[in-house]
Amino acid sequence: MPLHDAHYQHWGGAHTGIWGRRWVIAQNGLSACLRSKLLRYVVLVSWVGGLLMAAFLFFLGQLLVPDSNMTRWVMQISPDIRAFVRMFTSWLQDHPEVSVGTTQNVLFYYYGVYSMPLSIIALGMALPALITRDLASNAILIYSSKAVTRGDYLLGKFCTAFGVMTLTWLGPLCGAWFVGNLLAPDWTFFWHARIALIHVLIFGLSSMAVLSLLALGVSAVSSREKSTPALWFTWWVLGLAIQPIALHTLQWLRHLSFGYNLKQIALAVFHLGRELQTAQDSIPILGQLLRQVPPATRAALDHPLLGGAVMGLAVMLLTAALIVNKRVVPE
Amino acid sequence: MSSEPVIETLGLSKAFGRQRALDNVSLKVFPGSIGLLGPNGAGKSTLMKCLLQLQPITAGSAKLLGREVGREGREIRKRVGYAPEQNCHIPGMAGCEYVTYCAQLSGLPFQAARQRAHEMLDFVGMSQERYRRVDSYSTGMKQRLKLAQAIVHDPEIVFLDEPANGLDPKGQAQILELVQGLWRIHGITVILSSHLLHDVEQVCEQIIIIARGRVLVHDTLENLKARKRGAAEVVLARGHSELQAACRGKNWLCDLLPNGHLRIEHRADTLNPLLTLMHELQLPPLEVIPSPNALEETFVQALEISHAAA
Repeated sequence: MPLHDAHYQHWGGAHTGIWGRRWVIAQNGLSACLRSKLLRYVVLVSWVGGLLMAAFLFFLGQLLVPDSNMTRWVMQISPDIRAFVRMFTSWLQDHPEVSVGTTQNVLFYYYGVYSMPLSIIALGMALPALITRDLASNAILIYSSKAVTRGDYLLGKFCTAFGVMTLTWLGPLCGAWFVGNLLAPDWTFFWHARIALIHVLIFGLSSMAVLSLLALGVSAVSSREKSTPALWFTWWVLGLAIQPIALHTLQWLRHLSFGYNLKQIALAVFHLGRELQTAQDSIPILGQLLRQVPPATRAALDHPLLGGAVMGLAVMLLTAALIVNKRVVPE
Repeated sequence: MSSEPVIETLGLSKAFGRQRALDNVSLKVFPGSIGLLGPNGAGKSTLMKCLLQLQPITAGSAKLLGREVGREGREIRKRVGYAPEQNCHIPGMAGCEYVTYCAQLSGLPFQAARQRAHEMLDFVGMSQERYRRVDSYSTGMKQRLKLAQAIVHDPEIVFLDEPANGLDPKGQAQILELVQGLWRIHGITVILSSHLLHDVEQVCEQIIIIARGRVLVHDTLENLKARKRGAAEVVLARGHSELQAACRGKNWLCDLLPNGHLRIEHRADTLNPLLTLMHELQLPPLEVIPSPNALEETFVQALEISHAAA
């Protein structure tokens, strides 16, 4: 027995706009990605990381308040720590921009850079649902015969990759910033930490755009579901492995790693060298510690290889665009 | 017949490298059920793909539903349905999800898309299997699903590329009946591509025969069937030479075919003059095969052109 009237009926409703159709492609891609249990675990781990970061910010915030329970408890631990905390609290009153802004900027640099691998893993797992499966099943032909263009299809898939990275990277980063400052003892923390958030957004959005485009390129390389993630992870791991080797041989080889290039961009966006110099000048204890950092490391932090990184990423993006252009055609 | 053509091409050509898949195709097709007939590799699918902008046109121009192909892709495809020959589902989806998704891609809001998807799946005769993943479908189910996704957004014209391929006779009949109803009952123009004369004859009112990328004929089925060249094949037990001589006397072309039959072009609407002649000669025929109509003849010609090229 049919569920509905089995006769053909005409439809006369209003059509959705093109952005609605692009959204449908992105939404469908994202739900296809999230059907993977492993990917859901990665999302969970990312958010747990974000919560830990928020808890750490809460802890730091409490240290900056002279009469908080946390400060009283920490000051009981040892006289040295008591001295440090007293200095820290008075420092907040004198230099709130540095104590909150610089601290969070440095913390979010490290959190941003070191939580990126999780999103790269998530993206690798999502690759088959981007273009690979559509190539295997000839679904490109179906998309192309509907009221969407190839550009709409690619934009939808780009948004899928962007969505995966938002769930596993930018979301936890921004969430940690918001919750951490929400739980801070003073509303002014939001204001003082605004630069850290801006840096997170600039670095996060640009890196996500780059990685999403690269992911589209890799997912279009083959129509085999196992090949494209294998290629992605191999490229990533080789990039990591090549860095120490290239440092003593051909330094430009380091730019073959998208991870290295993005790290250089992070250094430039977060102005890590300048922020550490500010901390060194403002906090005596930190100053002594930072003076022990090797000059080569300081130089690397002060002068990131932005030109090479941008050039390297541009070449990668161009290659990805060529692959997509060649492979994503209805046939 | 509506005065506005649904398809209009002028000198349409498509080349793959040095090979011309479509060669200077000029057509004006009016609404109806149109059969695109030709042997495999004739250029039927390429013509469809060019009209849907799935393949770029090498030369010439084309209009679909009054709009220039290549300029207003999205708007055209919103009003057009397409069921390709090959399997091309979106992996990991159940049948009803797939058809819903296709409707959404054509611009239907989700609620309407879901409702229409179920209606169309009922229309093509799919029941509970719609909730199974498409990957597990049989060929017949996939063909039905392709038809459902092609019409789910209520198009004005639907292109069906070999919709009955791979189906058993019963399935073929059901699909062709559904396709026939699309134009006759619901007013959706159907372009049916097939290499099977019988399928096209059963469903279509207009016929376009293509071979090696060229249009050999474009006419109504009625006209093509009515057009006969006044010829017949005669099977005789004896007296071949007598009949040949008598035909020559009447200025009729008469050839002895390799199978021993005589092919006689008597140029009359009926077989009566030929039968009278044989009666006069007292040559009883074992069999008289009337000449094929123009449809069959042109189709055979298309096959021959195709074989010659191969």
